[in-house]
Amino acid sequence: MVFSMVRAPLVAVSAVFTFLLFLSEQGLAQNTELDSLRALVKGMEQQLQQALQRIDQLEKEKNSTSVRVEQVEKSVKSTQSAAGLLNPAIGMAIDATAEQRNKTGGNFNFRSAEIGISASIDPYARGYAFFNGSGDGVEVEEAAMVTTSLPWNLQARGGRFFADFGRLAKFHPHEYSFVNTPLSLERIVGGESQADGVELSYLFPTPFFLRGTIGGYNKIGADNERVENDKSRSWSRFTYLSRLSSYFDLTDNHSVELGTSLAYTPSVRLSSDPRSGNRTMSGVDLTYRYQPLGSTLHQGLTIGAEFFGNSELEERGSGYRRMFAPGGYVYADMKLSREWSAGFLYDNAPSLSSPGKKTQSYSPFLTWKLSEFNRLRFQYTYGNDNVNESKSDSGSQFFLQWTTTLGAHSHGFANR
Amino acid sequence: MPVKRRNFISVLLFSLLWGGFGIAQAQQIRVITTIPDLADITKQIGKELVDVESLTRGVEFMHAVPVKPSFVPKLNRANILVAMGLDLEISWLPALLEPASNPKIMPGQTAYIDCSTGINVLEVPKNVDRAEGDVHPKGNPHYNLDPLNGKVIARNIADGLARNYPQHKAVFEKNLAAYLSELDKAIARWQTVAAPLKGIKFVAYHSDWAYFANRFGLQQVGSIEVKPGIEPTPNHLVGLAQKMQQEKIPLIIYGPQSDRYPKQLAGQSGAAVVRLQSISGGTAETDTYVKFIEHNVKSLLAALKKS
Repeated sequence: MVFSMVRAPLVAVSAVFTFLLFLSEQGLAQNTELDSLRALVKGMEQQLQQALQRIDQLEKEKNSTSVRVEQVEKSVKSTQSAAGLLNPAIGMAIDATAEQRNKTGGNFNFRSAEIGISASIDPYARGYAFFNGSGDGVEVEEAAMVTTSLPWNLQARGGRFFADFGRLAKFHPHEYSFVNTPLSLERIVGGESQADGVELSYLFPTPFFLRGTIGGYNKIGADNERVENDKSRSWSRFTYLSRLSSYFDLTDNHSVELGTSLAYTPSVRLSSDPRSGNRTMSGVDLTYRYQPLGSTLHQGLTIGAEFFGNSELEERGSGYRRMFAPGGYVYADMKLSREWSAGFLYDNAPSLSSPGKKTQSYSPFLTWKLSEFNRLRFQYTYGNDNVNESKSDSGSQFFLQWTTTLGAHSHGFANR
Repeated sequence: MPVKRRNFISVLLFSLLWGGFGIAQAQQIRVITTIPDLADITKQIGKELVDVESLTRGVEFMHAVPVKPSFVPKLNRANILVAMGLDLEISWLPALLEPASNPKIMPGQTAYIDCSTGINVLEVPKNVDRAEGDVHPKGNPHYNLDPLNGKVIARNIADGLARNYPQHKAVFEKNLAAYLSELDKAIARWQTVAAPLKGIKFVAYHSDWAYFANRFGLQQVGSIEVKPGIEPTPNHLVGLAQKMQQEKIPLIIYGPQSDRYPKQLAGQSGAAVVRLQSISGGTAETDTYVKFIEHNVKSLLAALKKS
């Protein structure tokens, strides 16, 4: 626009000059003054020509710039769709505590930095992984494939994942309502129900939620050291699982969840003895929730309880005896406002080798959610430890926990 | 073994009943919607061809809907899923679809109807950073509050139903035309009735009223939350109360949040407090989409008279 507006008067000026030139050639050829005028006009004509050329050039440049801008925009879009848009969702959770235990002293405990990624693989499966870095190094906590389109309400999962045993064993510790993994879960299951294997679940066509799972794994339990994870073995030395879980809405605001789990290992070879026997780990989990639909933001109550039993051969003097060790925990967590909640955890953890000896602990806790992604928690624990000779879990313990999540970090249905 | 036999009979009866129920329902298209607004509009377009149920009741805060396993069997059996999209359901729907074992209704598939297609989205953030709170990267998802968007929703649902059941396309189109003309009449009425709302400044708890304000000419001048999803600090509340007094702001709108801060602010500033949900269905006055918009307009007009 600007260029053509400049151009119009220039063309007019050039026409006037050409006319003048024509006149001079006709009648005033002899005049010397005219010669100088002629020279002047010629100079101006040249300048005009140059100006016009410059305008043409600028106009060309302008067009090519807008073409370039379009090209750049296009290429940005194509790189976004090619790589950026197909990137999996990535997120991270950071979890740290400051601790004071009367038996052992204080500690700043960097508990975990957990990076999670997840995305659809193709129309048939999705994949997810959680890499956990802690004071002990970095490990693949979960990395699994899950089918998304199997018929007959079936869903299969393979790789390394948290096996479908109980409720809390499938939680990543930063998602707990309290600070620490209950000792009963730690001793009997081995912390998270991490397992390398394969699992198949079935959603029953009932009007209420009822789901069954069967699975086969090298072993269950992140801290379970009975079995080496990376050794080939006979099929009787694997762990097999079955679970049923159900959910009922009592009213719009009250609900109950009930599950039973059984993990069976036909033959566990004890490290110190060539004899082997089977191991049975069983569990019942019960969760009650009060979630007033209209005010879930600032009101609510969860009561969760799990009972575990472990039955296996244990060393007794010079021989071996089958021992059944029962244990469990129960907690309540109540929302006081959108930001604050408070609760209490009771935990009863037996010694697996002599179930009569127990570690009991009582933990009130208070949680302050600054936002959906940033949480501070204070917990006091009073322990009564009759299992460890050092009584390391006895007495008062204080914890201040700071947990944050960034990016897209979700553990989905299992950690609800 | 009389007890066992009785158990057996009750199980048999139960399965027969359930089976019979299944046959009765087999003729209808089972539609699950995320919010009651979409259920109502789907009913208007599908009429007797559809059996519609909304997962939420209309009293929930959309960003804190409980992930209830009882929703899983419903999603499992659904022929069609109708959702708002724009990440409105992000905190609960994906977690429920994961165990639902129904690949047809997964986002992007033909039986998943995304009602946000063609919506002129407001408040799309230029910079997506959680320092700005729990921002919606795709823009404000509460577009159902503008009745003109109700027309877009209805069109999307009719198209989605016809895509999956082309044999009923003519019926859906006919019902859509009838519903759109009903909606048009109502919109014309609201635009006259709501004239006094034009230019009115208000404070909202959460920024879910942008589309309504845009349609009826109201102006949001502040929010009780410091940033989306972040509760107010004492300083923020003091500043907000001062601003409300200086600018003589007559209205505070809040929803399923606690009434503590709205009432406190009203006490300090003299503004009227109105509790309105951002989805329909919570009460008898809002059990259809048209009644819901009507209720919103009337409640705000009434509050304005009081203040």
